[in-house]
Amino acid sequence: MVDACARQSRLDEDVFMKAHLFRPGRRSSWFHALVLLFLAAPTGPVLAEETAVDRVAIVTPASRTNQGWDQQGVDNLVEVGEALDIEIEVVEDAGYDDITPILNDLASDGTDLIVCHASGYQSVCPEFAQAMGIAVVVVENPAAVTDGLVADIETQAQEAAYLAGVVAGLETRSGTVAVVVSGEPPTWNFMTVGFAEGLHSVNPDATLVYQVIGEAAYDDAPNAKRVTESVIAAGADIVFGMGDGASFGMIQAINEHNLDRETEDQVWFIDVIGDKSGSDAGQYLLTSVLFDYRGAYTELIQQLKDGGFGEVHTMSLENEGVLLLDFASFADPGTLGTVEEVRAQIVNGEIAVSAIGDADGVRARLEELFPR
Amino acid sequence: MNVEAISTALIAAAILTSMPLMLAAVGEAIGERAGLLNLGIEGSMLCAAFGSFWIALETGSVTVGLLGGAVVGLGIGLVFGILATVFHANQVVLGLGITLGGTGGTAFLFREGYGSTQPLLALGIGRPFEGWLDWFPVIGPAIGDQRWFVFVAWIMVLAGHFFLWRTRAGLQLRAAGESPFGLESVGGNVTAVRIGAAAIGGVFYGFGGAALSVIELGFFSPGITAGAGFLAVALAMLGRLSPLRVGLFTLAFGLLTGFDTGLQIAGVNARPELLRMLPFAGVVIGLAILGRGVRLPPALGQPYGGIASRR
Repeated sequence: MVDACARQSRLDEDVFMKAHLFRPGRRSSWFHALVLLFLAAPTGPVLAEETAVDRVAIVTPASRTNQGWDQQGVDNLVEVGEALDIEIEVVEDAGYDDITPILNDLASDGTDLIVCHASGYQSVCPEFAQAMGIAVVVVENPAAVTDGLVADIETQAQEAAYLAGVVAGLETRSGTVAVVVSGEPPTWNFMTVGFAEGLHSVNPDATLVYQVIGEAAYDDAPNAKRVTESVIAAGADIVFGMGDGASFGMIQAINEHNLDRETEDQVWFIDVIGDKSGSDAGQYLLTSVLFDYRGAYTELIQQLKDGGFGEVHTMSLENEGVLLLDFASFADPGTLGTVEEVRAQIVNGEIAVSAIGDADGVRARLEELFPR
Repeated sequence: MNVEAISTALIAAAILTSMPLMLAAVGEAIGERAGLLNLGIEGSMLCAAFGSFWIALETGSVTVGLLGGAVVGLGIGLVFGILATVFHANQVVLGLGITLGGTGGTAFLFREGYGSTQPLLALGIGRPFEGWLDWFPVIGPAIGDQRWFVFVAWIMVLAGHFFLWRTRAGLQLRAAGESPFGLESVGGNVTAVRIGAAAIGGVFYGFGGAALSVIELGFFSPGITAGAGFLAVALAMLGRLSPLRVGLFTLAFGLLTGFDTGLQIAGVNARPELLRMLPFAGVVIGLAILGRGVRLPPALGQPYGGIASRR
């Protein structure tokens, strides 16, 4: 491609020289040389190497309005699309079944890049990319990374979850803290272990109650509420909840519990992914582990344009792909200083947070940290 | 760890979370008794849940929201009853259509109405008998501290049972499912009775959907019923289409649902997927054991053309 352009460029120059430059009675040759340079510039090799990315799609398993994983991915990609003037197509509620027909449809629409926004799409999307030659982004599957075809986002938020665990360890009054999850996907597992390690680092005598609502119960708000009521009854005064739509069940359990209670008897919530602090759900929000995909998406799109696509992008505290939401006003002001210190220690490598993605590994680590 | 407090919380949660399911299952049982198989409960509950949530949010009244949900259920029940009896529409197709329409329609309306926000209702719902039964450990506060509508729901179940087995209208309703020709031969109007049964059933699962969004959760989100409508059909059959039995089986299902949470809190090292299977395995085993004696109404799911059509 580059050779062809260069060849055409040289051909154009020859024709121009013969037709104009050496014709008697024309202006001076230096002027024509400048014109030549100007005309030759657009056909140079710089633009020829950049791949056009006009259309990017994102496929999410659940609703783009669930104020969790799905919404954060979509909202962030739409923002990046607006900034880069790229058309964004959103396919939501795709579920966890085979999404190949959806991917084929996107391919036939001329999509340049597909973001497969679920760990449940770890195998179908790389297979599709290999078969169709269309670039995809997967999550939590570094083994699938392929030059020019498959890139991976590691949403290993264990570092920010560690900070949340530190906050919980310093803020708990009962000494019992709960982790309630709507499933055990790698992302939730990373954060569970990070949170537990953070909690253990400042409060090793705390009791940690770990509750799984169900398998892929991401929208199961009724059971999320029931389970949260149970952990509150077990004495938990801080609940670290990872649920997506199910989070609202947890939040309502806490809201109901806190009705007419004094501050010292209230239960607080630590959320993940999105910022609910300004909404109805933010009343008892202590803090939140926030995900920001904008940096990752921008970098991946640029890599696709430049030809460097096909790497692992890790969202970390250092690149602010994950971060902790500002604390609620009812938190102890001294906690902020401790968290800042710990954050610096994580970023400079003094503290290494475990990255455990499998459910059995999570249980083993929790048992190690907080033996029953 | 306070075992008594945890046990109380688990039982209280079981009573509350089983209540919407119980109302839906009793509504289905009443309809099936009259010969109507409604697989549209899931969609109907979603419509009622959304309608009641919207009304409660707009009016600020939980009671008005609940009544709104019942009206939505009544309306859908009437539509189902009329299409199934007057127009002889296939009940299975009709029911599935209601479920699909209700699922998609409520998701669309919610998105249109609230965008990406998630408004929450305040859950300060009255508990008229709070503290009354605290003298009885564990079960006392679990029952006594329930919200007022839980007691209303159980009264509705008892009323439904009484209506079916102790009233002339209930006898006619059962006859419409057992022997519609017999009912017509003694002067009964099978079509009217079935439409009436569909309407009563609609009120029950309308209240069920409303109770889910307004009483239990205090919010609505698309697909919030998570299959409760289909589970209600199974529980109605497990309870042999008897409202009281259906209510008790649903409560047992709720207790089994909470069992896995109790085991996890107790530190039992079992896979949560296996623990979560318990209530559903219970339903399957229950159906296998108790379902053998179930004799469904012979005219269930059959359109009725009148005595003239038999000649």
